Amino acid sequence: MAALLDHPVASTSYTWTASGRRANSRRQSAVARAAAVEEAPLAAALRPTRTDFPILRQSVNERPLVYLDNAATSQKPLQVLRAMDEYYGEGGYNSNVHRGVHALSARATTAYEDARAKVARFINASSPQEIVYTRNATEAINLVANTWGAANLHQGDEIVLSVAEHHSNIVPWQLLAQRQGLVLKFVELSGTEELDLAQLATLITPRTRLVSLVHVSNMLGCVLPAQRVAEMAHAVGAKLLLDCCQSVPNMPVDVQSLGADFIVASSHKMCGPTGIGFLWGRLSLLEEMPPWMGGGEMIQDVRLEASTYAEPPSRFEAGTPAIAEAIGLGAACDYLTGLGMQQVAAHERELGAYLYAKLRRIDRVRIYGPSPEAAQGRAALATFNVEGIHPTDISTILDTTGVAVRSGHLCTQPVHRHLGISSSVRASPYIYNTALEVDAFVDALTDSIKFFT
Amino acid sequence: MSMVVSSINVARLQPRAAPPGLKARLPRVAAHRRQAARVRCSAATTELPQSLKTLVQAFQSVPDPMARYKQLLFFATKLEPFPAEAHTEENKVKGCVSQVWVIADLTDGKLQWRADSDSQLTKGLAALLVQGMSGLTPDEIVRLPTDFIAQLGLQQSLTPSRNNGFLNMFKLMQKKALDIYMQQQQQQQQQPGAAGDAAAGDGAAASGSSGDGDVAVTAEQQQASAGDAAAAGDSSPSGTPVADSMRRKLTEELQPLRLVINDNSEKHAGHGGYRGKAGYSGETHFDVELVSARFEGLTSIKRHRLVFKILEQEMQNPVHALSLVTKTPAEANMA
Repeated sequence: MAALLDHPVASTSYTWTASGRRANSRRQSAVARAAAVEEAPLAAALRPTRTDFPILRQSVNERPLVYLDNAATSQKPLQVLRAMDEYYGEGGYNSNVHRGVHALSARATTAYEDARAKVARFINASSPQEIVYTRNATEAINLVANTWGAANLHQGDEIVLSVAEHHSNIVPWQLLAQRQGLVLKFVELSGTEELDLAQLATLITPRTRLVSLVHVSNMLGCVLPAQRVAEMAHAVGAKLLLDCCQSVPNMPVDVQSLGADFIVASSHKMCGPTGIGFLWGRLSLLEEMPPWMGGGEMIQDVRLEASTYAEPPSRFEAGTPAIAEAIGLGAACDYLTGLGMQQVAAHERELGAYLYAKLRRIDRVRIYGPSPEAAQGRAALATFNVEGIHPTDISTILDTTGVAVRSGHLCTQPVHRHLGISSSVRASPYIYNTALEVDAFVDALTDSIKFFT
Repeated sequence: MSMVVSSINVARLQPRAAPPGLKARLPRVAAHRRQAARVRCSAATTELPQSLKTLVQAFQSVPDPMARYKQLLFFATKLEPFPAEAHTEENKVKGCVSQVWVIADLTDGKLQWRADSDSQLTKGLAALLVQGMSGLTPDEIVRLPTDFIAQLGLQQSLTPSRNNGFLNMFKLMQKKALDIYMQQQQQQQQQPGAAGDAAAGDGAAASGSSGDGDVAVTAEQQQASAGDAAAAGDSSPSGTPVADSMRRKLTEELQPLRLVINDNSEKHAGHGGYRGKAGYSGETHFDVELVSARFEGLTSIKRHRLVFKILEQEMQNPVHALSLVTKTPAEANMA
C-alpha cells in the first residue's frame, strides 16, 4: 500500500489513550504525514479504499492534500471513472437509450436500466420503477413540489419543514406556497441541537399534508428518528419526504423500514459523478403524479391535439438522460456495496467521534449539533466556529497547509441565523479519510488560530 | 471638469411610451450607473494610483501564500478605526463572503476612505483599497478603469470568491465617490439669490412659485434625492433642480399666465435616450404647458424654438425630451 505513495515511508510512534491515538511527535513532518496517512488503524476496515482514489495523491501548496469537504462533494473511485470511460471510449457503447434496435443502443439501454436497478437495490426499493433519475437531489425535491405538490396541495394546506433544512428543501416549498396559498411551518432545534420532536408534534395538524425534513443534517450532523416522524406524519394522513443527501452515502438506508414516502439523494456525494441524482417514491404515489417536464421519453403517444404519458419513472424523465452519469452512479453503488454500508457507517462513526473529540479540546472552538453520544448519534462531519475569527479566514489559512474544508453558510442560512451566526467552518470526512488526516487538520487548525491571535 | 455634451434631440418632442410591464427603477440607482458611464466616456480613465500599484506589487512579490496573508493582516492593522455607527446597510459591500463596510470623507476636494470587516484577511484587502484610493478626487475615482483589479494583477492571488468580493468593494467605493461627485455638481448648479430661494422652496413640496404651475415628482425620486442628501451630510438641495431651473427661466423670459411642468422621466426609465443622460435627479423627460403673451404672432415651430433657446442649457444635459404645448392667452381662453 505504502509503495504506491511517492513519499518515502517514515515511522511515527503513537501513544494510545482512552480518547484515541495521539502521535508522540505533535508536529509530524509533511513527509511523514503523507506516508503514514494510509496506515491509520481506525480506517482498517476500509484500507483498500485510499488507493482507489488517485486524486487524493496530490499536493496543495507543497503539502499533501487533506480533503475534508466531502459533505459538499465526494471523490470518485477508479471503478466509477472506468465505467464512464468504457461507456464512451474504445470498445464502448455510447448511444441513445430506449429507442433504437442496433447493438450499441441495446447495450446502452441495458447498462442504463441496470444502473437504475442497482440504485433500487442500494436503498432496498421494491422495484427499479420507483427510482426516478433527476439532475440531483435539488431537482428531485422540485419535481415532487411541482407534480405531487401542485396536484395535491390546496389553499390553506400545511407543510412542515425545519429551520435546519438545506435551501433545496425550503425554496421549492416557498415557491409552491406562494402559488397555491399554502402554510409553511418550521420545526426548531432542541437543547441538544437536533430537531425538536416535541415541537414537531405540536406543528403537525390535520391540515398537514407533507412533512419534509432532512434525514442527516449537513450542518448540525444530527440524525432524524425517521420511523417516529413517519408515524407522526401518517397519523394525520400526511406524506413524509426525507432529504437523504447525507445519509444514503454514509449509512445503510432501507426505504422499506424508513417510513418515508419520498427520499432524494445526489450521486456526487456518494462517489458518483455530478449531474445525476434520484427521487425514490412509493410506486402508488408516482403513478398518481402528473408529468412536469414534457418532451421525448416521457410520452406514450404524441398527437397534435394531445399526448399520453408514460408510466413512472419514465413519465418524469423527459429528454435524453445523463446516460454515462447514470452508469457512473450504478458503478458507485456497486463500489459502496462492495465495501459494505455497515462498514462504511462504522468507519464514519469512529472517525467522526475522533474528529469531534479532538475539536472539542481546542480552546475557543464551538461545535454545532449533538454530541456523538446522542441517542440517534451524529454524522462524521463537524461544523464549528472559532471565537473571534471569521470562518473564511480559518479556511483560507487551512488551505495554505493543504487542508480542504468548507466555510460560509453551507446552504443553510436559516439555521445559521437561528444560532445567531453568519457562517461557519465544516470538516466532513468520508470513506478514504483517516485519523492521521484528522490529526493533520487539527494541527493546521491550531496553527491557523495562532496566526490570527 | 467637463461634462459630456450629448446631442440635443430636439426631434424627439413626443416621448416614446415605455414598453408594457416595464418597472421603473429607483432613479438614484439607475442615475448613478448612467452618470458613471457618462463620466467615464467623456474623459480618459484615471491612471492607477501609484500608491496602490506599489502596495499590490509588494503584496504580489511575496511568493509564499502564508506570508502573503501575513501581509494582509499587517495591512489590516494600518486601517483607521471605524465608527461603530457606520456599520449600516448603505455602507455594506454586497456579495462578500464576510461583512465589509466602507465610508468616505471629503477633505479639500479629496476623498479619504475608511473600511472595516469581520474577517481579518478581507480587512487587509480593504486596507489595500483604502490606502490606494485615498487622496484621489471623486472624479478620479469614478474614472478608474473597470478592469482595475486585472490591471493590478491581483486576480491570481485571490480565489474567485475573493476576487468577486474585492471587485464589489471597489464598486461600492466608486458608487460612493459618484454620490459625492454628484453632490458637488449639485452645489455648483444651484445659484445664489432669488432662484436659490425658489429652488429651496420647491425642494420638499411640489408647489410652484408662479402660481398654478406644479411639478409632478414621484415620491420615490423625492425620497431618493432626500436620502442622498442626508447621506452626504449636506443641507437638502432641491430634489428637482432641473424642473426648478426650467421654471425659473421660463418665468423670467416669458412671464407665462400658466406654466405646468410635468416630469415624466420615470416612464422612460430604460429606453435608449434616457440612458446616459440623466443627471442626479433623474429628470430627463418633461411635459410643459405654457400660456404666454410672448407667443403672439409666432408659429408653433417658432414658439418651440423660443422655449428651447431659453432652456438651452437644460436641453444639453440632462433633459432628453420636452413635450410642449404653447398657447397664447387668447388660444387658452385666458385673455
